This record gives sequence, C-alpha cells and structure tokens, in this order.
Amino acid sequence: MLEVSDLHLKIGDALILNGVSFSAQAGDSIGIIGPNGSGKTTLFNCLSGFVLPFQGSVSLRGENITHTPPYLRAELGVGRVFQSFGIFREMTVLENLVVALESRAGVLRTFFPWSTTSRMIRAQAKEFAAQVKLDGKLSQRAGMLSGGQMRLLEIVRALAFGAEVFLLDEPTAGVSPKMKDEVAALISHVQTLGKTTLIIEHDINFVQSFSKRVLVLDQGRVILDDSPENVRKNDLLREIYFGK
Amino acid sequence: MEYIIHLAILVGIYLILAQSFNLTIGLGRMFNLAHVASYALGAYVTALASTELEMGFGRCLISSALVSGLFAILLGGIALRLAGDYFAIGTLAFASIVSALLINWKSVTKGVLGIPGIPRPEIGGVALYDNLQFGYVVGVLVIVSLTVLYFVFSSPFGRVLRGQAEDQLAMMALGRDVRLINTLGFFIASAFAGVAGALFAYYINYIDPSSFSFSEMVFLVTIVVVGSPGSFWGCVVATFFLVLLPEPLRFVDLPSSILGPMRQLLHSIVLLSVVWFNRAKLFPAQREV
Repeated sequence: MLEVSDLHLKIGDALILNGVSFSAQAGDSIGIIGPNGSGKTTLFNCLSGFVLPFQGSVSLRGENITHTPPYLRAELGVGRVFQSFGIFREMTVLENLVVALESRAGVLRTFFPWSTTSRMIRAQAKEFAAQVKLDGKLSQRAGMLSGGQMRLLEIVRALAFGAEVFLLDEPTAGVSPKMKDEVAALISHVQTLGKTTLIIEHDINFVQSFSKRVLVLDQGRVILDDSPENVRKNDLLREIYFGK
Repeated sequence: MEYIIHLAILVGIYLILAQSFNLTIGLGRMFNLAHVASYALGAYVTALASTELEMGFGRCLISSALVSGLFAILLGGIALRLAGDYFAIGTLAFASIVSALLINWKSVTKGVLGIPGIPRPEIGGVALYDNLQFGYVVGVLVIVSLTVLYFVFSSPFGRVLRGQAEDQLAMMALGRDVRLINTLGFFIASAFAGVAGALFAYYINYIDPSSFSFSEMVFLVTIVVVGSPGSFWGCVVATFFLVLLPEPLRFVDLPSSILGPMRQLLHSIVLLSVVWFNRAKLFPAQREV
C-alpha cells in the first residue's frame, strides 16, 4: 500500500530525515513515536507532499508519488489530520463536512447547489456528523467546538473525503481525557473499515491500544520497527528518551 | 434629478468593483493591491476599442472583462507563488507596472493627457446619451454582476476560497489545488473589475491615469473592511455608505481645496475606526505545518 524508501530531507542546513524507510500494507495500523525533533511530523509532511525529500521515494499502491503535489496525493487517498487542528473554524460543522464531500464529488457535479448531488452531499454530511455526535451542532461555527469535538470533526471529515491512508499527527493533543476515549473509538472505527492508519503519539499506551507495529524515530532515522510489546522492552527506547 | 442619477450610476459601478474585490480580499483573504489596475485596464480597453476600433458596447464589455481577467492570470501566476506580505507587495508591483504603462506608453494610452471623447454606447441603434437611459443599462449590469458574484460566493468554489483563506494546508489535504482555485478567483474578480472599468469609461467619456491612482485602491479596501471582509451584503451596504458619505460636503460652503482632502479624510477616519475595533478579526494569522 505505502512504501517509503530511504527518505532524506533537509530544512536549511539541518538534516531532518536521514534515510527513513518502512512499508505499510492496506489495513495496517502503525504507531510512530520518538522524542521532540526526531522528524515525526516532518515525515508526515513528506508523505502528504507539503515538503519534498532530496533523496528517497514514496510510493502508494505501487505508484511513485514522491513529487506528486499534496492535493493529488489526497485524491489518491492520503488523508491528513493535523497536530494543530486542520478544521475550518469560521465554517459551520456542516460546511466542514460538505467541503470534503464536494471535493470528492468534483466541481462539475456540485456546481449547482440545487443539484441532486449537492442535496445528497448535505444528507451524507449530516450522517457523518451523527457518527461523531455532532448532528446537534451542524450550524455551529467549528471554531466554537471543544478540542475533542474539533478532532472528531477533522477525523470524520477525512473519512468523508474518502481517505485510505490516515496520517494522524497527535490526534489526542489538546483533547480532554473524556473526549480522548471518543477519539480513540473513532480511530478504532476507521481501522475496522480497513483503512491504513499511521499515528504519531507521545503516549505509548495509546499507541499500543491501536497499533500492531511501532516505529521509533530518532534524529531522522527509524531506530526500531517492532511490535509495541517488544518496543516497550527495548532499552534503546529508554536511551533515546532518558539518555544512557 | 440629474444629480441623483449620477450618484446611482457611481454607486452601481462601485458595487461591481468593490464586490469583485471582496471576492479576493474578503473571501479569499488575498491582499491583492492590483485590483484597481484591473479596473484601469478594463476602462482603457473600452476607451481604445470604442474610439479607435469603433467596437460596439457588448464587444467592448467582453474585451474589457477578458483583458482584465487575463491580466489576473498573469498576476496570479507570479504573485500567488509569494506568501503573506510578499504577495501584497508583488501585486503592488504589478499595479505600479500598469500605472507606469498608462502614463508612459503615450502612443497607445496618450499618457497623462488621457483618452477623451469616449462615445456613449449604442444599444439597438439608440445611443445612450441620456444619463437615465445609461443608468438603466448600468442597473441591469449591476444586477447581473451581483447575482453572478453572489452565486460564486455561496457556491462550492466560494467555500473552497473561504476555506483556503483559513488553512491552505487543510484544503490541499482535501484534494483541492489551492493555487488553481486562487487564480480562478483572481480571474473572476478581475474580469468584473474590467466590466466596472468599461462602464466608468463610457459614463465619464474621458479617462486618464489619475482616475486609477493608489487612493482609489485605498477606497476599495475601506469599502471591504467597513462591510466586513467576505460579507456579501456588508460590502453592498458599505459601498452605498462610503460612496454617498462625502456627498453632503458638496453643499457646505467651503473652498474646493479643502473639500477634496476632506472626502479622503472622512474615508480614512472610517477605515481607521473599523480597523481599530476589528483588528483581531480582520487578518488572523495562518497556521503553519
């Protein structure tokens, strides 16, 4: 499904990714952990196409997408959930979902708001909102939602858009402990739909509950790629977080 | 009566000009300082096409819209590669180039002397010399233009333009080519500015570079800011308000050397007040990856 090979990326003079390689099969759930500055978010930016590597490649379903622009990667199924909430705060909850569904349907089919497609999209958007219990807040500005609700909206929007590979960058950041369970339940739901999920998280317990495999990044390299249980036991993990 | 018709035509032209500007600066949050350049191009194309080529009303209008629209594509192709403040500076550079061309390309634009004798348009063999008749035509074009722009504002395209203004990365992550969308937004806005320019040229019968100075740009910014950027009806109300605001000064017994600057002073006070009270809302910071 997703093949990442020998990614090297520089920002200024700093080498942020230093030969990252891994692969993910359809339906895989992979946790990505590592200390601050280890290159986790940059790796996601590289997979999303927001930054380009100077060496290495990214392939999706066998197609080389290393230099494909972000919007085309999204069309191919790469979905992104941002660490700092990528929702449109000035739009309503309904509009946030409609904009994703319209994007999937294409410009011509949604050109006229009274078209059958446009009416169907609004109905679908309401169903997706109901999935995350936001159907009572459809006309509320998304910026007025709590952190947890914003996160739910962002994930369900990626689902509505039809993403196949979910890049979830710290999905529980800025989320209250109570809402964390709801976010976790939604990620589980995404996984049961057979989607590939890559989750950046600092909370290894959270990662363990979702991922069958964990990548540990340090200084732009994958230093561990193993099951969560084995990663937990590995002394290298303690070393990179707490030193020798 | 003639005075009221004059004001109505002026408000009509500014409604098209300001609302099209609102599409880019208000909805798309693209600080395009070359909108008046598009307006000027529209005016000059109609002036030249009607005086030199004796082209009809419809053809002049379409030519103005197309030339201004194409200018926007060129502008967008270059300026949209620049981020934030640099984008505004880039568009300002384009505006300066157009201004320099209007002044210095004398063989075509007649420089600072301008182009006189622009004939009123003929529709169905009737020349619209009467301001009331011309006012009806402007009225119809204002209704058509505002209807189209309203449709654009509330369409999926408008939603994408609004969304990318808030978060370009999130919009790209939803499969939208943000640069293409912005260029298209530029094209539409600029084409309508061209239409406004054509109407202005027809109405005033004479154009010169001073009609398209930077103070005109500031006036457009004032309209959009007062009407709340991105608000369609806010822009309509603000256009009426700001075009008509200095008019009572005409009836004050003051020398013209004082009256002229007072109009600009009034607009500046309104702009400053609105910006002061809405400073946090007007241009919020973009999120970084």
